[in-house]
Amino acid sequence: MATQALAPAARGYRSGLYEWVTTTDHKKIGILYLINSFIFFFLAGLLALGVRVELAQPGLQFVTDQTYNELFTMHATAMIFLFIIPILAGFANYIVPLQIGAPDMAFPRINALSFWMLPLGGILLFLGFVTGGTAAAGWTSYAPLSEDAPLASPGYGQDLWIMSLVLVGTSSILGAINFLVTIFKMRAPGMSLFRMPILVWTMIVTSVLVLMATPVFTSAVIMLFIDRNYGGHFFDPATGGDAILYQNVFWFYSHPAVYVMVLPAMGMISEILPVFSRKPLFGYKAFVFATVAIGALGFSVWSHHMFTTGAVWLPFFSLMTFLIAIPTGVKMFNWIFTMWRGKLTFSTPLLFAIGFLSMFLIGGINGAFSASVPVDFAVHDTYFVVAHIHYVLFGGSVFGVMAGFYYWFPKMSGRRLNEGLGKVQFVLMFLGFNLTFFPMHQLGLAGMPRRIADYSSASGWQDLNVAATIGGFLIAFSMLPFLANIFLSLRSGEPAGDDPWEGNTLEWATSSPPPPYNFDRLPEIRSERPLFDARHGRIGH
Amino acid sequence: MSSTPRTRSLSGALFAVLVIAILVALFLVAIAAGLNPAAAVTRVVESFFPPIAVTNQGAEIRVLYDIVFIIAAVIFFVVEGLILWTVLRYRRQPGDNELPPQTHGNALAEALWTIIPTVIVAFLFVISWQTLNAVEAVSAQPALKVRALAAQFQWQFDYYDESGENIVYTQFVPQGEGGGMAVPVGQDINLVLESRDVIHAYYVPQFLFKRDVVPGRTSVFTFHIKPEDANKTFGGQCAELCGSGHRLMTFEVHAMTRADFDAWLQEHIDQAPPPPPSGEPPGSGEPPPGSPAPGETNNPANTVIQIGAQNTAFDTAELEVAADQPFKIEFDNQDPLPHNVAIHEGSPTGPDVFTGEIVTGPTQVTYDVPPLPPGPYAFICTVHPTMTGTLNVE
Repeated sequence: MATQALAPAARGYRSGLYEWVTTTDHKKIGILYLINSFIFFFLAGLLALGVRVELAQPGLQFVTDQTYNELFTMHATAMIFLFIIPILAGFANYIVPLQIGAPDMAFPRINALSFWMLPLGGILLFLGFVTGGTAAAGWTSYAPLSEDAPLASPGYGQDLWIMSLVLVGTSSILGAINFLVTIFKMRAPGMSLFRMPILVWTMIVTSVLVLMATPVFTSAVIMLFIDRNYGGHFFDPATGGDAILYQNVFWFYSHPAVYVMVLPAMGMISEILPVFSRKPLFGYKAFVFATVAIGALGFSVWSHHMFTTGAVWLPFFSLMTFLIAIPTGVKMFNWIFTMWRGKLTFSTPLLFAIGFLSMFLIGGINGAFSASVPVDFAVHDTYFVVAHIHYVLFGGSVFGVMAGFYYWFPKMSGRRLNEGLGKVQFVLMFLGFNLTFFPMHQLGLAGMPRRIADYSSASGWQDLNVAATIGGFLIAFSMLPFLANIFLSLRSGEPAGDDPWEGNTLEWATSSPPPPYNFDRLPEIRSERPLFDARHGRIGH
Repeated sequence: MSSTPRTRSLSGALFAVLVIAILVALFLVAIAAGLNPAAAVTRVVESFFPPIAVTNQGAEIRVLYDIVFIIAAVIFFVVEGLILWTVLRYRRQPGDNELPPQTHGNALAEALWTIIPTVIVAFLFVISWQTLNAVEAVSAQPALKVRALAAQFQWQFDYYDESGENIVYTQFVPQGEGGGMAVPVGQDINLVLESRDVIHAYYVPQFLFKRDVVPGRTSVFTFHIKPEDANKTFGGQCAELCGSGHRLMTFEVHAMTRADFDAWLQEHIDQAPPPPPSGEPPGSGEPPPGSPAPGETNNPANTVIQIGAQNTAFDTAELEVAADQPFKIEFDNQDPLPHNVAIHEGSPTGPDVFTGEIVTGPTQVTYDVPPLPPGPYAFICTVHPTMTGTLNVE
């Protein structure tokens, strides 16, 4: 239709930079999301290395206590809000319209607005480093430590943190509305709900979570802003406020946010495993229902971050937290049995997907320790919990992101990545990740609290900390083959063709990279694997 | 349908042999390096468990932990093994273009892997709940009531009398010589937690327990140290980020027999200035008069230096006094917190030559300091090791 008329006219008379800054094309915006997210991934990774270097030996060697608190606060805030959440939104931005056979997102200008709030928010957050100190009260910024008081959080850093997160939150909300409208209103003819790729399903659930929870979080940080700047009395007990109120409002968003950070990665894995196993996803409908169940239960478990406050109804939140393991377990078996009796090709995307399965499994199992309230009394706020979140968010989400990157990069760039470099990166990252985060289980059990800048040499914690620091550098080192791979591929990579992996879904039915507005014609959609059907006929049903 | 080519199972077996060979090689290297593998294995296994609990409540948690750990380990090995086996077993052979069977699902299998996890988590929830009730039970008739009062960045421990209403003694120094929280073994102790400023958490790893200390709220938990752990000391520390001095909020718990404890408490009551009125934070009490500084001399000191404390910091970083002459320190504590001035030789961690009495502000106190030989000294607050300054004696 209009595709052919518009595509040539849009080129030629604008500079490349102007084109990228003003673009409303979901694919260009998706790539901008990826670039922006990876920049903050590297920055936040450097901050983490600062933490690891300081903890490698007892005594304060490199940073002050205050700087240390800034390091881990900014590391977590940037990783969560400027890397994991946006990069998954970026992949979905690129892939979801293609997978449902749509020409673009429903609201292309709002889509551009959601993106441009992110670099602005990121700059605001990091501005603290030049205005006398960043936020230093942890990424959770619990009141009253985050209040404006001499020994709490004086200065601009905390306010910049709030402003940054309001912007990033607004970006997420706009993006969620855009995804929901796009998915519900712009699917190609024949693509009924149960023929949608799993990534699209996970984006529906993710968007609903974002839409319902993010405003609550925004209200929490705005109340904190009022407390700090206009003498509000929401959270400071010294003025009649309630410190626990902040935690309730904060975690009402921030627990579902964990699913915002992991469901799209699960969706990506669920696209990759069937392609490289040459089989359909095992139990498609069960997988969809499990995703919806995780989303629903995700709203009733926030207080498991607050078991040790003594101010929550422990049995209820414990039960809900245990229950969420059931749909998660269903997914795990669905993935394994997708590979079962398949024919696996060990390309880099599959390696990272298997990395996701085996590491996310640990992140699920060590989560059960914290769901058991009395055990949580022992391990809460120790390095055990640090191990847990990294097995979920790094072992899960980051491995998922890497799998997705290797899988869709040929579509985005038109060029293949080098398999050898990809495998080197996988091995380095897998070893580095486990060397960094596995010993943290033992540190936590031995009693090392999180967020301490130093520990006594008599504590016996040094060996494991040294292991974690070496692992951290191994992870950093694994970024070299990654960056080299991207650089070499963009410069002289082998052309990918439309469909380098024998994909199942519609994004592989158009050129690489796809033209503006994506498709000039679509294959018939009779199942969740339209391209498989086109290749093999009805054998798949 | 997929057959099982011999090459595939063969290379799978080769891989397994390789893994086993590497493990055996590591084991032999460990022996060759003179390590004791049995002890090393024990150490590694122990590192997956929390410390041996010293309280009855902690012991309950440890039993629960062990059950959760065993179930978790079984699930881990079964599922991780399944992943590995699937990955190794179903590799695509080069040149194999045949499609595998296109299985979309299996109702029985899916029902099984929904029901079995449900049973497991239901079991875990029930045993957790039972343990929770035991751990959470607060004694109505505790043998001792202590209040841990947390503030940036130190703990203080208030001891109540038998009625549980009047504070008879306040331990300002949370650790070190003469410091720490002494408690009797074999009895129920109720620990009341209150905070003066931000959220802290009372955490003793060997109790397998922590509880947040939330400003504006009072929470209580009961612990009962086993009799066999008398005369032991357990380290603890704040487990909730509370600011730049978070890592410094360490303390010690001294377990002793009831008789030893009574003697300890009586001795400290006798030495201490009168406690503040009951129920009130110690800060609102009248400042004790005079200064029972050790080493006090009869010569009236001529030199007077002034040091103030506000927001857990001294207002001066550097001071000078003349050598070999006694002098006075007028200490103005403007914080509602306990502070003092102590003088250490060389650095804040050097030997102490003078320790002023700890006072809770806002209040003022005058210390008489004996003559000091010339040299560099440091002055610090015994309660807050972050508060330091330099004293030059010339």
